[in-house]
Amino acid sequence: MTQVLDQDLICAIATPPGQGGIGIVRLSGVGAKQVAETICERKLVARSAVYCQFVHGSEHLDDGIALWFPEPQSFTGEEVVELQGHGGPVVQQRIINALCGLGARLARPGEFSERAFHNGKLDLAQAEGVADLIASTSEAAARAALNTLRGDFSNKVNVLIEELTRLRVQVEAAIDFPDEEIEILEQAGVVNALGSLDKILTNIIASANQGRLLSNGVQVALIGAPNVGKSSLLNALAGEDAAIVTDIPGTTRDLLKIDLLVNNLPIRLIDTAGLRDSSDAVEQQGVARARAQIAQADIVLLVMAAPDLSVAAVSQQLADLKAEDQEEQFSSARVLVVVNKADLALPPDLPEEVNHITVSALTGAGIDQLKTKLHEFVGFADESTEFSARARHVDALKASADQVAAAQLALHDGLAAELVAEELALAQHYLGSITGDISADDLLGRIFSEFCIGK
Amino acid sequence: MRYPEQFDVIVIGGGHAGTEAAAAAARMGVRTLLLTQNIETIGQMSCNPAIGGIGKSHLVAEIDALDGVMGRATDQAGIHFRVLNSSKGPAVRAIRAQADRALYRNAVRRILENQPGLKIFQQSVVDLLVEGDRVVGCKTQMGLDFYAPCVVLTTGTFLDGKIHIGDEQQPGGRAGDAPSSLLAQRLRALPFRVGRLKTGTPPRIDGRTVAFTELEQQPGDNPRPVMSSIGQRSEHPQQTECHITYTNDSTHQIIRENLHRSAMFSGAIEGVGPRYCPSIEDKVVRFADKTQHQIFIEPEGLTTTELYPNGISTSLPFDVQLAFVRTMRGFEQAHISRPGYAIEYDYFDPRDLTYSLQTKALEGLFFAGQINGTTGYEEAGAQGLLAGINAARKVQGESFWEPRRDEAYIGVLVDDLINLGTTEPYRMFTSRAEFRLRLRQDNADQRLTPLGVDMGLVGAQRRAHYEEKMGQLQALKLKFAGECVMPGSDLDGALELKLRKETTLLDALRRPEVTADRVAVALSIDTQNELAVNVLRQLEVETKYAGYIKRQDDEIAKIRRHEAMQIPAELDYSSIDGLSNELRQKLDQQRPESLARAARIQGMTPAALSILLIHAKKVASI
Repeated sequence: MTQVLDQDLICAIATPPGQGGIGIVRLSGVGAKQVAETICERKLVARSAVYCQFVHGSEHLDDGIALWFPEPQSFTGEEVVELQGHGGPVVQQRIINALCGLGARLARPGEFSERAFHNGKLDLAQAEGVADLIASTSEAAARAALNTLRGDFSNKVNVLIEELTRLRVQVEAAIDFPDEEIEILEQAGVVNALGSLDKILTNIIASANQGRLLSNGVQVALIGAPNVGKSSLLNALAGEDAAIVTDIPGTTRDLLKIDLLVNNLPIRLIDTAGLRDSSDAVEQQGVARARAQIAQADIVLLVMAAPDLSVAAVSQQLADLKAEDQEEQFSSARVLVVVNKADLALPPDLPEEVNHITVSALTGAGIDQLKTKLHEFVGFADESTEFSARARHVDALKASADQVAAAQLALHDGLAAELVAEELALAQHYLGSITGDISADDLLGRIFSEFCIGK
Repeated sequence: MRYPEQFDVIVIGGGHAGTEAAAAAARMGVRTLLLTQNIETIGQMSCNPAIGGIGKSHLVAEIDALDGVMGRATDQAGIHFRVLNSSKGPAVRAIRAQADRALYRNAVRRILENQPGLKIFQQSVVDLLVEGDRVVGCKTQMGLDFYAPCVVLTTGTFLDGKIHIGDEQQPGGRAGDAPSSLLAQRLRALPFRVGRLKTGTPPRIDGRTVAFTELEQQPGDNPRPVMSSIGQRSEHPQQTECHITYTNDSTHQIIRENLHRSAMFSGAIEGVGPRYCPSIEDKVVRFADKTQHQIFIEPEGLTTTELYPNGISTSLPFDVQLAFVRTMRGFEQAHISRPGYAIEYDYFDPRDLTYSLQTKALEGLFFAGQINGTTGYEEAGAQGLLAGINAARKVQGESFWEPRRDEAYIGVLVDDLINLGTTEPYRMFTSRAEFRLRLRQDNADQRLTPLGVDMGLVGAQRRAHYEEKMGQLQALKLKFAGECVMPGSDLDGALELKLRKETTLLDALRRPEVTADRVAVALSIDTQNELAVNVLRQLEVETKYAGYIKRQDDEIAKIRRHEAMQIPAELDYSSIDGLSNELRQKLDQQRPESLARAARIQGMTPAALSILLIHAKKVASI
């Protein structure tokens, strides 16, 4: 069933995407004030700016101003709170995550305007404009959602949906066809299947870069021999002097973490100490930390200098990297060879199977292409709606995980089969927002094709 | 000739849909006529001799809650009763009864003949009488014209029915009965979309030639359930047993070798058959790795030796039927008393109907039963009941009764049919009902009987029974909410609670392990008192499901808000930007009356719904 006209609590980033001076997160619906007061840890006063810290649990998210508009005197006609903090999608997304954790949900495109219209805050002349807005933004959102459904994430979600459908086929067949001679999963089988579903879900939510992308941005590790220009590359990407740049090898002894925004994609860039054996104790520590970072990174930029570079040297470096990655925590597909200092020498022709790009951090040549490449790597299209599309997927996955947990509990408590089935149906319903619903008839079709039903 | 008497509602067809429709209209006090080809076959079970089953007994309970025929007739004719899903929860528990065909027919006929306000006439209908875009009556074979403002058509498989046995075909509505070809021709000329479906039956076997000692026995349940909420075990006729046998390699071998002679596989049949009720040749082909298939041997009745082997419906030629039947254990000497056959028939696309089951094209004309693409006595009966009620309400000048998906399986059935149509004979399953936890057999009366009383459908006996049940339930609720169990008390011990602090009986009942049975023993409730036991079970279900029901209630509240959002009939979908062409087409065709109904259209998105609402509001305010 498709729903509109909810009155539940919704939230969204109200300011335009990107790095701005001020970022506003808007909350509307029943309970807006209560949720905002939890985040702000202060009592709000109607229509008055209240300065506060935005806090989630023990985590300090941002400082800013909270504004409460009691209903009906608000933009939407409902209870509204605006949290005005510092711009930047990463910080704002953390606030959104915190709000969602407290019971709000992400607004659909145009939902604020839609509520405003229904509550008589917009006149009829504006109505069509709202409809157009919904139509265009939902199209963009749909495109964005589709974009995020590529590659690894998509594969995992498909596996998840298939597992869940398979389990539902079993459970529903057991309910609707108990007299048939069909081999239905026993209780233990259902317990196992639920456990496996739980694992897949946890895995997707926690480990897929989507989750971290939202809270921390994409983790990009910069590695390479000393003095190949890692820090200048970082500066070129960040567009400001963020790291110390020097000609003395091994200057960047400690890890340098910088959050930056590359064409709307939030990135946490980790500049590592040069990977080389050293007797210096401090430097050794730095090297160890660098290796740990490489293992966790979503993308590894292997920086090499164009002068005196040979194809063999690149292959050797890649092989070394692979050898060090004993736990195989990242796939070699996540490694991008960045041939720097192209202004000094012409680099050799690298084979196509090696992901590579040629740049000059000094002149800025190739930096734009590198940014595009980073987007491609995480399947991130340059559209502002992309970010919330991903957030929605993670929301749906979490809601689904809650239902799977409820199903496990129901089974454990020995509740009736139809109650377990109910939780599973809801779990699938939430996933449906990612890939479309599976109708009762689809499910029956699966039952009839898998089991010989029929008297 | 014009028949001298004017009627309010004419029902054409005396099957399960027709009898419920006629009885319902008459119960509501309108002048009703039932027209049938043959009075002797009123209430005939043309397929297997059983009523109920999962999802189906839910429908029977709903019919029963509105004082319909099916449940009462089943209690008078049932010769073998079982509770299905007894190990699962109450929402999916169901009753299935084998019925004696003759007793069932008699029971239905007796109920109809004792129904005041209902007249029965035997004559084949050949045409509808139409004035403009409304139906005013119908014409029978001998040229007799009957007039009524509402006509309910329940022609089952009789519309242009064609029977297939192997490569032979003959027109027929059911083995032994003529099809309604003239009426079919006439209806095809009206603006209804027509499709073709098929179904099949197995060969019937003479029980005297079956070695029962070789078969597995399947006795009925003890204690024996009753189908109708006002039924009595004492009404049940003598009980009998069912049996089970299996097909084997030889059976499958014979079927495989003769596949090319099956009407279904030779391409002689154009209609689509049900996936959940495949013919034996279909099963052998599609599940080739199965070495045997289970066959239920059901008695046709107490006074006949005929058997219904459930699971071997076929359109193979007779010689092949005989050969493969005789490969089954216990059937080595079997004599086939009637050959199995496949039957193809016309159905009308149910998307041309409204929620009341009135056709969109002709005012006053209602369709119910297999004509709408469904299968099963229960599905037919439920539609008949609804069509009969709405035909009567139309005559009475009342608004239609259109049960929602959260109120009744009847609502699920009609909503599915008129919104999604069907490509195979539609059968009810509990998995079709998203509000399954509410739509239980045990609370069908609570959901529907008060409505039935309001509509004038429910007789005094059922009403009194219902009020008695509700009174007891209310009293029990008060008792459980008020009575406390003390730690270490006798009651604590009897309920095995191991309490640490005092708790109410109601809270104790919330625990999964505290069953109604345990409570009945602990409180010394007389287990012979069925009403008392039922009421206790009801309280148990309501208590244990409370959290789930609450969640569904929230969902339903949203749907009802959408229902209040009417969409003006004149809304021009082609002028609305932001809807996909596909959606625009569907909306234009289905013209949903409310936002809730628009939301049911396949492919509808929240954004499209929002846009729709805004435009609907705009049009309404101009």
